[in-house]
Amino acid sequence: MAVRPAGDFKTSYRQDMALLDTAFYRWGFGLLVAALILAPFWLGHFIFLLTTIGIFAIGATGLSLLTGFTGQISLGHAAFMAIGAYGSAVLTGNYGLPFLAALPLSGVLAFACGAIVALPSLRIKGLYLAIATLAFQFLTEYTIIHAVGQGLGAISLRAPRIGPWVLRGEIQFYYLLLAVWLVSGVFAANLIRSRVGLALMAVRDRDYAAQVMGINLLASKTLAFGMSAFYAGLAGSLWAHYNRLISPEHFTIVTSIDYVAMIVMGGLTSIWGPHLGAALVISLSQGLKIITPAVVTILPSFAKVATPLREIVFGGILILLLIWEPGGLAALARKLKRLLDLWPFSY
Amino acid sequence: MIEFFLGGLINGLAVGSIYALIALGFALLYKSTKILNLAHGELVLFGGYLAIALSHVLPFPAAVFVTLLAAGILGFAIERAIMRPLFGQPLLSVIIVTLALGYIVRGVMVGLWGGDTRQFAAGLPTGVTVIAGIAIQRVGIYSAATAAALLLVFWLFFRYSLVGIAMRAAANEQLTASTLGVSLRRVFAYAWAFAAIAGAVGGVLLGLWLGVNFALGFVGLKALAAVILGGLDSIPGAIVGGLLIGVIETTVGGYIDAHIIYGFKEIVAFIIILLVLMIRPYGLFGTEHIERL
Repeated sequence: MAVRPAGDFKTSYRQDMALLDTAFYRWGFGLLVAALILAPFWLGHFIFLLTTIGIFAIGATGLSLLTGFTGQISLGHAAFMAIGAYGSAVLTGNYGLPFLAALPLSGVLAFACGAIVALPSLRIKGLYLAIATLAFQFLTEYTIIHAVGQGLGAISLRAPRIGPWVLRGEIQFYYLLLAVWLVSGVFAANLIRSRVGLALMAVRDRDYAAQVMGINLLASKTLAFGMSAFYAGLAGSLWAHYNRLISPEHFTIVTSIDYVAMIVMGGLTSIWGPHLGAALVISLSQGLKIITPAVVTILPSFAKVATPLREIVFGGILILLLIWEPGGLAALARKLKRLLDLWPFSY
Repeated sequence: MIEFFLGGLINGLAVGSIYALIALGFALLYKSTKILNLAHGELVLFGGYLAIALSHVLPFPAAVFVTLLAAGILGFAIERAIMRPLFGQPLLSVIIVTLALGYIVRGVMVGLWGGDTRQFAAGLPTGVTVIAGIAIQRVGIYSAATAAALLLVFWLFFRYSLVGIAMRAAANEQLTASTLGVSLRRVFAYAWAFAAIAGAVGGVLLGLWLGVNFALGFVGLKALAAVILGGLDSIPGAIVGGLLIGVIETTVGGYIDAHIIYGFKEIVAFIIILLVLMIRPYGLFGTEHIERL
């Protein structure tokens, strides 16, 4: 449901197809990008929060392509992130590839793994597929623990290097991330309004009907899995280079569930959903980590319940949001905008 | 070698009977509500933690009784507070809600009692019995017997009681059962209560065996493997699947674990899931769903 302001007429198809179709969105997006570019100046040392949000938003965009737009439930998204992370660690460490080559290559590696995981998706669907991806998640975790780093699975990386620059600082890495974040976000937005994206949505809505209309189900589903894994691989590679020490603990089933929570909280069928969801989930979990020391000084017993409390708050918000507003934050934002547009008269 | 497998077989059957019980709750819930409950492991955790906490203040039978009562109430509460408002929502929302529910239950349990392994109060059977040269955990015998007895009780319940028959009717053909006067809401509520109780019993039995810590929640995933193997919507399938998973895990998994690669036992269940989904997605006894263009 698009709500357009009166008097905003489209005179060409080009205008009608524009990603940011009204002045509100153009200005809003411009301001957002400006705020993100200037973020190091107003966030100070909390910039790590935004970096983490960005990395997970890239991964969540991939999952939203798969789950929100193609309707295939995946509970193993963190496994693809792990593949990207370890892939780029091996590529830069063992093969000495530059960072800019390892980043897309680890995405491609994840794409290949995703396409393989997708192959059974023609035979099994819905719940069964979700369970298969869950099994894939555990098998990947296990393989990594046993194949890398003498049974611990930990591996360290050098700082990413682009040409003569070594990206050591928090802020330098942030700008690199921001570029990848914007490009991948815009790419996803373009993808879902293209022929491919429409085909994916047809598969989501009714796969047999889509097949009758001439959409190749296997190709669409494989592509969706591959794309989602590609995004996860990029996120994993960025995460690896950001932390510079990765271990399987970063990519457990909990991360997979966090990803699903991000896209559901953000809004499943909105291109803004994964970004909003990532921002909410990361701020929640990191926010609790940041305030914990402060609360502990007042209430010493808080340290013990901080992690369980995060789980409870997280689960509670998820349940309430799903009952109250199944469309997620994106739908809430749309409602809010509509309310403000029409204020004070709601008609 | 033979002794290893024979011992594995018997101990596997003992663990498997607990898995079967947990899987029964899982399959029952799926059959009557079509909800894949990813919080089932947390229901197991709930039973284990609560029973251990209570066993330090109450005699053991009373502690178990109160735990089961609490599990039943928890099941009813989940259905009323969370699942009913979501009736008719898409599959993903419901799966996510069960995941979130699992987060909450685990958070509350770990927050209240901490993440360390806890044991039942002393005075319960421990040690090893040797029968024909095969060492068997004594706890294993008791838990297998309990599980078998409970499976019998559940079977009798579904065979003869009015509620049980109504639940089977609703599971078989929801719309028809509803027209014939079966209250679907009540059936759903009972299904949740039963799932919670079966999970809690499993938690108590596993807690007797290994002690309880937050990792007990992962047993829910083994129950998932069991129902996938047996067929998601088949109650006998859940029982057979649970026993099979227990046996395969202790024999094959235990063998590879000890001789080839460490930690293999933990992922046997997932390999079984993948194999079954590739070869026979509807499991051993599940309803075969055929779609053609």
